[in-house]
Amino acid sequence: MSATFDPRRFVEASHEALNDPQLRPALGRLKTHFARGRTLAAARFGDFEALREQGRAIRDHALSRLDELLALFERTTQARGGHVHWARDAAEARAIVLAILREQGARSVTKGKSMVSEEIALNPFLEANGIRPVETDLGEYIVQLRDEPPSHIIAPAFHLAKEQVAETFRRSHTALDPARPLVERAALVAEARGVLRARFETADAGITGANFLAAAEGACVLVTNEGNGDLTRLLPRTHIVLTGIEKVVADLGDVAVLLRLLTRSATGQDISSYVSIMSGPRAAGENDGPQHFHVVLVDNGRSQLIGTEAEDVLRCIRCGACLNHCPIYGAVGGHAYGATYSGPIGAALNPGLLGVGMAHHHPNASTFCGRCAEVCPVKIPLPKIMRYWRAREYASGLAPKSAVFGLSLWAFAAKRPWAYRIGARIAARLLRWRAGGRGHIGALPLMRGWFAVRDLPAPEGRTFHDLWQRRR
Amino acid sequence: MSARDNILSAVRSPLGRNAPRPAPWQTIRPPGDLVARFVAHAGAAAAQVKILEGADDIPLAAAEILRLRNLPAILHLPPDPILERLTWSSTPGLTLARAAPGPEDAAMSVARFGIAETGTLFYPASSVRPASWHFRPGLEVAILAADSIDFTLEQVLARLQGEGALPSTVNLVTGPSRTGDIEQTLELGAHGPKELAILIVPGGLQWA
Repeated sequence: MSATFDPRRFVEASHEALNDPQLRPALGRLKTHFARGRTLAAARFGDFEALREQGRAIRDHALSRLDELLALFERTTQARGGHVHWARDAAEARAIVLAILREQGARSVTKGKSMVSEEIALNPFLEANGIRPVETDLGEYIVQLRDEPPSHIIAPAFHLAKEQVAETFRRSHTALDPARPLVERAALVAEARGVLRARFETADAGITGANFLAAAEGACVLVTNEGNGDLTRLLPRTHIVLTGIEKVVADLGDVAVLLRLLTRSATGQDISSYVSIMSGPRAAGENDGPQHFHVVLVDNGRSQLIGTEAEDVLRCIRCGACLNHCPIYGAVGGHAYGATYSGPIGAALNPGLLGVGMAHHHPNASTFCGRCAEVCPVKIPLPKIMRYWRAREYASGLAPKSAVFGLSLWAFAAKRPWAYRIGARIAARLLRWRAGGRGHIGALPLMRGWFAVRDLPAPEGRTFHDLWQRRR
Repeated sequence: MSARDNILSAVRSPLGRNAPRPAPWQTIRPPGDLVARFVAHAGAAAAQVKILEGADDIPLAAAEILRLRNLPAILHLPPDPILERLTWSSTPGLTLARAAPGPEDAAMSVARFGIAETGTLFYPASSVRPASWHFRPGLEVAILAADSIDFTLEQVLARLQGEGALPSTVNLVTGPSRTGDIEQTLELGAHGPKELAILIVPGGLQWA
């Protein structure tokens, strides 16, 4: 992972992304593929609004009884012969996973897609300890070979063109014929299928995430389209599920509702190709599946959000719809954020997980158009939460000096009507003079960025207060 | 305090904050035949569905599926009594294999239930119905009884739980394996089967 991947570099990284010509076609496809797919799927469903409301209520209920549901999930999982581990932070989570792998003597490890594993930087840690896990989700596999982080919650390599993928495969799969054609997407998919199947067959342990945990049944529910998650669970001796504590809901009935929301919001599918309900290791009489089963429940900053104005962000089911509909994400992509979670959900979550000091740029990267909240399957008020983080940024003195100065000036005038009237009168006349009869202003000192792409209509010379006074 | 106790006390909800559990979601079942709905949705997910006249037709239909695709006439069968009872000798030229299928092989499986809302096959794993067989082969040929089709996942879960405990793995399969990871463009056959053929038999199957 490159050293420039840092949330504090968001502004610089955004400029770099805006000037990256290879990113444009990928970002352009978000609207025509994912966003359009969601719109059509929601319309096919019928009353999608009622479904969203049900999803919100299910997640709120679960979050308000998180302690009970987690304790129940632990009991039911143990009753199925599984082990449950608790990790307060990233370091504890990494150590737990390593200890399980060491105890099992696991040397080769396959991995399904897991954003929590990105969040805790599991792969570099395991590699430093002599275990190189192989990512098996196609997109994750591609970015792993390129030593890049994923750029989208559900489409980790969406920023790449197929030619870049072909180049990556040629460089990495050196045992294959260098003269092979790798032009079509289908050829790339077939090559990854062949290379990774051998890894599945020989893995000692598999690590996956979970989309949902059902407390009553002690079940982890995994949603994939490729089937890689299932081969990761079923073929090795040991299966480790790594997931956040907020993923638990009451039972599989609640999962069934959230599933309808998740896949429609994510890819526009009525359901994904595979949904797997996994409880414990293989049971007596079963001749397939793992012999050892572990669930690692990761907090890593989540519990601190409970009781704050940002707590609704914990309802998130990681569909990525807010990314696909965000004008900011659509302009700069995922890598610019320099964090595991990007787009509106990153802007609402990162200051909580990473600290306001690290991620204070993210909640500012918003036009407050509100599309993210409109499409969120569990109705997270994302702009409201971003405003909360902006207020926290201001309170902790992290806001830029110019913004602090401008806001203090505004606050002074807004609280003193006489000062506001005088200021507005002066400004209106100055701006009119500056326009010089042209009706618009093309530039003002200190505002080059704002004027780079637009003009300001010139005021008439009188303030609203003056005009109103005269009409009365 | 242990990590467990720390986390559980940190998430304990503040007094008075208890969001009620919503009433269970009611899916409105549209009018029309469940089988027809299942076929339409499975087809939309790129599965190929054929309705047979009876279970006796399964061997011939399977052989035809292989022939139409120019695949070797080899079919991998799990030790499923429902499949064992079929008269395979009526299909000369078809070889039955017992080993776990490889990524280019064809394998047969029997779905316990079908979900019409999404065209989904529902497979609880058992000693005779291994879960990995839904992901290993290149072509999965699934058998589904018309009587086993319900409308929603909730209904099917209730039927399964009525039959006893949940097995360690339950797989829901809708269409073949796919990926959109390269240029957000759909390609079939990522890691699991490249094709899914579903043979629906009228009535029920003899499960015991």
